[in-house]
Amino acid sequence: MKEEDTQDLLDLASELRWEVGENFHDTLVEGIYTDAAQIAQKTEIKQGEPNPYSFERKLDQVLTSKKYGFPIMILILSIILWLTIQGANYPSALLASFFLEFLHPILKTGASQVDLPWWLDGFLIDGVYLALGWVISVMLPPMAIFFPMFTLLEDFGYLPRVAFNLDSLFKKSGAHGKQALTMSMGWGCNAAGVVATRIIDSPRERLIAIITNNFSLCNGRWPTQILIATIFIGALVPDGFSSILASIAVIGVALLGVGFTFFSSWMLSKTLLKGEVSTFALELPPYRPPNLWTTLYTSLIDRTLIVLWRAMVFAAPAGAVIWLISNIYVGDLSLANITIDWMDGFGLFFGLNGVILLAYVVAIPANEIVIPTILMLTVAHLNLMGAGDGVMFELESTTETAALLHAGGWTLLTGINLMLFSLLHNPCSTTIYTIYQETKSWKWTVFASIMPVILGFLVTFLVTQIWQVFH
Amino acid sequence: MILLNQGYVLLFFATLLVVFFILKKYQYSLRSLLPFKYIEKSITEDLLKQLYHVTSSQKTTDFKMLSGALKIPERKILKVVESMTQKGLILISDSHVTLTETGKNYALSIIRIHRLWEKYLSEKTGFDKSLWHDLAETKEHQLSEEETEALYEELGRPRFDPHGDPIPTALGEMISETGTSIVGIPKGTVAKIIHIEDEPKSIYRQIIKEKLHIGAHVKILTSENHHVIFESEGHSIQLSTVVASNIQVVLLNSQEVYEEGKVRLSSLIEGEHATILGISTECRGANRRRLLDLGFIKGTLLTLEYMGPNQNPRAYRLRNTLIALRNDQADFILIEKPQYDRTGSL
Amino acid sequence: MTELEACDSCALNNSAQLLKLGINVDNADYVIALAGNPNTGKSTVFNALTGLKQHTGNWPGKTVTRAEGGYRYKDHKMKLIDLPGTYSLLSTSQDEEIARNFILFGKPDVTIIVVDAARIERNLNLVLQILEITDRAVLCLNLMDEALRHHIDIDERTLGKELGIPVIKCSAIKKQGIPELISTVHQVATRQIICKPHRIKGLSKPAQKMVDKLDKKIRKNYPGLPNSRWIAMRLLDADADIIKALKNGDFDQVLT
Repeated sequence: MKEEDTQDLLDLASELRWEVGENFHDTLVEGIYTDAAQIAQKTEIKQGEPNPYSFERKLDQVLTSKKYGFPIMILILSIILWLTIQGANYPSALLASFFLEFLHPILKTGASQVDLPWWLDGFLIDGVYLALGWVISVMLPPMAIFFPMFTLLEDFGYLPRVAFNLDSLFKKSGAHGKQALTMSMGWGCNAAGVVATRIIDSPRERLIAIITNNFSLCNGRWPTQILIATIFIGALVPDGFSSILASIAVIGVALLGVGFTFFSSWMLSKTLLKGEVSTFALELPPYRPPNLWTTLYTSLIDRTLIVLWRAMVFAAPAGAVIWLISNIYVGDLSLANITIDWMDGFGLFFGLNGVILLAYVVAIPANEIVIPTILMLTVAHLNLMGAGDGVMFELESTTETAALLHAGGWTLLTGINLMLFSLLHNPCSTTIYTIYQETKSWKWTVFASIMPVILGFLVTFLVTQIWQVFH
Repeated sequence: MILLNQGYVLLFFATLLVVFFILKKYQYSLRSLLPFKYIEKSITEDLLKQLYHVTSSQKTTDFKMLSGALKIPERKILKVVESMTQKGLILISDSHVTLTETGKNYALSIIRIHRLWEKYLSEKTGFDKSLWHDLAETKEHQLSEEETEALYEELGRPRFDPHGDPIPTALGEMISETGTSIVGIPKGTVAKIIHIEDEPKSIYRQIIKEKLHIGAHVKILTSENHHVIFESEGHSIQLSTVVASNIQVVLLNSQEVYEEGKVRLSSLIEGEHATILGISTECRGANRRRLLDLGFIKGTLLTLEYMGPNQNPRAYRLRNTLIALRNDQADFILIEKPQYDRTGSL
Repeated sequence: MTELEACDSCALNNSAQLLKLGINVDNADYVIALAGNPNTGKSTVFNALTGLKQHTGNWPGKTVTRAEGGYRYKDHKMKLIDLPGTYSLLSTSQDEEIARNFILFGKPDVTIIVVDAARIERNLNLVLQILEITDRAVLCLNLMDEALRHHIDIDERTLGKELGIPVIKCSAIKKQGIPELISTVHQVATRQIICKPHRIKGLSKPAQKMVDKLDKKIRKNYPGLPNSRWIAMRLLDADADIIKALKNGDFDQVLT
C-alpha cells in the first residue's frame, strides 16, 4: 500500500478516535465480555450445587492464613531442601566414584600407555576432565531432585499462593511477590532462578529479582556451608549438640541471604531502580493433581540439563586453569603459591586467607568445586602430599579435612567468614552468563556480579573488626 | 605483606557513604556545576515557561522574582537574558520582562513537550504520579520537534495531560480552562474534578494522598473559611482551603449521575459480594488494561474470598476465578454493595 | 484433492514470515498454533498431542520460552507451536505481543484455543479476540472432567454454533478427546471444515459505527484482508504496534 494511503488511514483513525472518546479500550473489552456472558449463559449447563469449590476454599483458608501460612511455607521449603541435600548424597557419591575413582585412573593409565606428554596428560585429565567430572557428580543429583519437586508444587498450584503470602513483604522492598518464587528457585540454582524471573512482567522488578537472586544460597554452596559449619562451629559445643548447632548456623546463613535479598531489593528500588510503581494482579489457579511423569521429564530437560550443560562449558576451562596455575613455576614457586602469598595479606584483612580468595577466583564456574580447590591449594601451599599438583580432591572424613584446614592456619573466624563469603560473593560464571542472556546488558551483568563481592568484603571486614575487639 | 591501617579503611567506607547521600540529596542542583553552555538551553526554556505562566495570570515580574522562582542565581539569569533578548524572545523595560510573540510560541512548545511527556508517563509507564512532574521537567529540554510529534502520534493525539491541563497544539493553540475552584462551592453540590495543580509539590502530595483524581465525582458536605469537607468514592475528605483551592471542578452535566453507593473495592470485607461500577479514570495505561483483561468490567459480580497474611493482597472471586490484587490497585476499582443495588437482585 | 494441495502451499508460502518469527517449517505440511489462557492445561494438551517430542527455545530477541513439537496424521506432518499463555491480546505485554504477532503475521493453518471448561465466560475473552484475527480455529474444551466434578457441563453444539468453529471436549491429562481433536484440526487445515467465526457484537452503537467506518477504509486499501475489522478496533485504541506495522507495510506481506 502506498505511503500516502497509510497516512490517510491513520488520519481517519485519529479523527475517529476523538469522536469515540479516550476510553475505547474499556468499550471494546466490555463489548467482548458482553458477548462472552451471553454465549456462556446459552451453553453452560449448571447442575446447581451451593459451594462447588469447598475443598479448595478450605485448603486456601489454611495455606494463606495468618497463623499457618508462613509456617507451612517454611516447612515445605525446608523439606524440599532437606530431601535435596540428603537425597543427592548417594547418587553424588556414586557418580563421583565412577568419574573420579574409577574412570580417572583408567584414563591416566591409558594416557601413560600412549606416551602422552606429562603436561598434556595433566592439563587434559587432571585439569579439564576432573573439573567436568566433579561438576557433573556434585551438580546433577541435587538439581535433578530439586527442580522436579519444585515443578510439582508449581503444577499443583501452591507456588502462586506463596507469591500471594509473601507479596506484602516484597512490596515493602519495592519488589514483586513473584520474586518469592525466583528466590526459592535460586536455592536450587541461581542460573535457573535468573531464568525463572521471566514470570515477572515489569522490567524494573525483574531486574531487581535478577540482581538479588545470588543471595539465595544455591545447591552448590550448601555442602560448603555444612562442611565448614560442622568443622568450625559444631566443634564449639559437646559432640551431642554439634550437628544441631552446625545446622542452625547453616540455616542462619541462608536466612541472612533472605535478609540481604530484601535489603538490596529495597536499596535498589530506592536508588538505581527507582521509578515505576509495581502492580500485582495474580490468578490463583484451582489446585490440580500434577502430572508426575511429564513433570519429571520436562523439568529434567528444561531446567536441569540446560543448566548443567552451561556449567560444564564453563567448568572445563576452569579445570585447565586450576591445573596450570599449580604446575607453572616461576623460580621455586608455582603460580598458585605466588598468588596465595600475594593475596594472603589482603585476605587476612577480611578474616579470610590467600587460599580462599584464589579458590574463589579460579573456581568461578561452579561453587561446587570451591572446596576441592581449597583443599588442593592448601596442600600445595603447605607442601604436603595431596593428590598431586593441580589435582582437586576431597577427603573421606570431616576430621581429616578439619586437620588439614587447621594446619593451613584456619581459625573459627576464617570459618565464619568463609561461610559469609560463600553467601556473599560474585555469582558463578554460569549465572553471570545467564544474567547477560536475560538482561542483554553488560552494565547490569557487571553490576550484578560485583555488587555481592563488595557486600561480601564489607561484611567479612566488619565481622573481623568486631572479632578483633573481643580477642 | 601489606598491612593497611584499619582506621583509614573505616574512614574510607564512611566517606563513600557520605558522598553517596550528598549525591542523592542534591542530584537536581548538581547540574548547575556543569559548564554554562550545557545548561543555557534549559535555563532559557525554564525562564520562558515561567514568564508565560506569569503573563497568562496577568502579573509582571523582574529578575529577582524569576531567580527566586527558578532557584537559579540572578547572575546566571542575566547572562541568559542577554542572548534571549538578542534572539528576540523577550523584551526588557525598566527591569520588567515580557515575552515577545516568538518567545510565547517557544514557551508553548516547551509546555507541549512537558504535558505530552506527563501524558506518556501516565499512559505507558507505571511511574508514580508524584514523579511525573520532575521527569517531565528534564525531558522537556531534550526532545526534538520530530520526537515530540512522533510521541504525539503514538499517544493518539491527546488534548489533555493527566492533570487535566490542555496540551498546546503544534501551532501553539490551547483550549482555555473553564473549571472553578472547589473552594466556595455551596454545600450539597455535586461536581467532577477536572484539574489538579501539580505545583507546589507539597500541596500536590497532600491531594494525591487522598487518592483524589481527575474525573472523580465529589459532593460538597461543608464549605467554611478554613476548610472544605466533601465526599468522593465513599470517603469523606477534609482539606484546608489552601490545599483545596488547587482543585478545579465543573458541575456534572445532564448525562452524569452522582452515584451515592459508589465505593472502592478495598472497602469490601471478607465474604461480601459487590457489583463493579467501573475502574477509576485515575488508573491508566497498562495497569488499567490488565485489570480490564482480568475481567474487572462494569457489571461484574465479585466476592472477597480471603485476605493474605497481612491483609494485603486480597483474593477476589469473579467469573469463577480467584484473582489476587494489592489494596492500592483495589482502590481504583469502584463497586456498589448490594444494599445500594437499585434492582434489588443478587 | 486440489483443495489440499492449495493449502499445502500456503504453509510454504508463508515460510519467510514464519522464519522471521523463529519457526523452521522444513518438513512441515501444516503449522498449528496452540493458544489459551494460563492455567487451562495448555501444556498438557501440547504434550498429549506431541508425546514429549518437543524442544524449547526462545522467541527471537525475547526472553519468553517457546515450545515446539510435531505429530503426524494421515501422511501429513503437523508442526505445533505453543504460544505463551495470555488472558488477552490487547494489553501489549511481551507475551501477548508474541502470541498476537504469531497469529496475525505467522498465519498458522489452524489455531487450537484451549479453554478451561469450568470457566468459559472468562476464557471467551481471549477466544473472541483470536476469532477476530483468524478464521481457522478449533476450540479445545479442556479440563472437562474437573468441570463435571464441579457440576458444570457445556453444551458443545450450541457453543460451536455460537462461535462458528468446531468445539471438542477434552481431558488432556487422561488423553480423552485427543484423537477427535487431532482429526478435527486436520479437517480444518485441509479445509474440509470451513469456519465462520463469531465476530464481536457487544460494542455500543456509536463505537460500532466508528469501527465500521474505519473497517471500510481498511478494506478499500487492503482488499481481502481477513482481519480488517480487528485492525480497525486496534487503530481506534491507538495500538502503537499496529500503527508501526501499517507504516512498515507488514500487512502487505500478510496478503501475499
